[in-house]
Amino acid sequence: MACPHLEYRESDGDREFDTARAFCTVTGEFVQPVHADICNERYGLDPESDCEIFREHAGLDWDE
Amino acid sequence: MTYEEYLDGKPVVITAALTGGIQGKEAHPDLPETPAEIAEAAAAVEDAGAAVVHLHARRDNGERAFSTERFQGVTDAVRDATDDVIVQHSTGGTAAPDALRAEPLRTDPTPEMASLDMGPMNRGRRLTSENTRDTIDGLHAEMRERGIKPELEVFNNGHLNEAFRILDDLDEPPYLNLIFGPGTLAPPSPANLQRMVDQLPEHAEFNVIGFGPHQLPLTTQSLILGGHVRVGLEDNSYLRKGELATNEALVARAARIAEELGRPVATPAEARDLLGVESRR
Repeated sequence: MACPHLEYRESDGDREFDTARAFCTVTGEFVQPVHADICNERYGLDPESDCEIFREHAGLDWDE
Repeated sequence: MTYEEYLDGKPVVITAALTGGIQGKEAHPDLPETPAEIAEAAAAVEDAGAAVVHLHARRDNGERAFSTERFQGVTDAVRDATDDVIVQHSTGGTAAPDALRAEPLRTDPTPEMASLDMGPMNRGRRLTSENTRDTIDGLHAEMRERGIKPELEVFNNGHLNEAFRILDDLDEPPYLNLIFGPGTLAPPSPANLQRMVDQLPEHAEFNVIGFGPHQLPLTTQSLILGGHVRVGLEDNSYLRKGELATNEALVARAARIAEELGRPVATPAEARDLLGVESRR
């Protein structure tokens, strides 16, 4: 499973990469490598509980 | 590790942290990610004065990797591209399970040095690098078994307690890396660096990391206090405000400042003698 807002892209319009990189469709930016582990639900991480961007976009408070 | 050692012109060990695992090319277009890119950077920083290279491994898309196979690719490329630089593998890994954290210790040959985080560090709202005592002791036991020199990563003053906890199990000299920056890292200030140095174990050697704009002033202070320095794009993207750095430029600047201050830059062989590192070359 992976975050529904995650895409792998070789370009964001400004920059080009040889290998497709993690891209957040909410922020419109490439994702830090450490954050991509949340996007990809690695190591028990989960966007719904661990990603500030996902939670703000979904209107979730941190005590929910 | 004293001001007197500075006055005596003790050689300084420069470590270059070339890539890290937190940010990548999305943040800095020249940050090395592939084994070939990391090896090219390693050769450049060795020529500029680095005695140690601190390595992380990545997937092809720049994301973090912890497997022995991925570290083997990086360490092979670095060893082929360099003459004698000491290879240090990271065992850090925010959120990664302990089993993966040990994999960088199992390359052939094993790294000469490895990082050993002394306690927790937070990132953002929910990410944390736990580094329980069980994790620390497990990684340290494997380093001892494999003859790997640990560099104790002291993220804040409290982690000095943890360093003292394992002090009896460390080979001489203990080597501690004092880390200054935001969040749960040690608050970056000259006074705090001095306080931490005052609390180090007797006979310890110490290294200093300052994140971002703190890299230049706090590593320079370390030179005066008889310590060693770590620079590189893992910790700092800028040479000065608004000007992106390269690993080579950051090492060259550290070497230049050290020489100006009367601290000769240690060769890898001298660094092995100073830090008690077994050669794998």
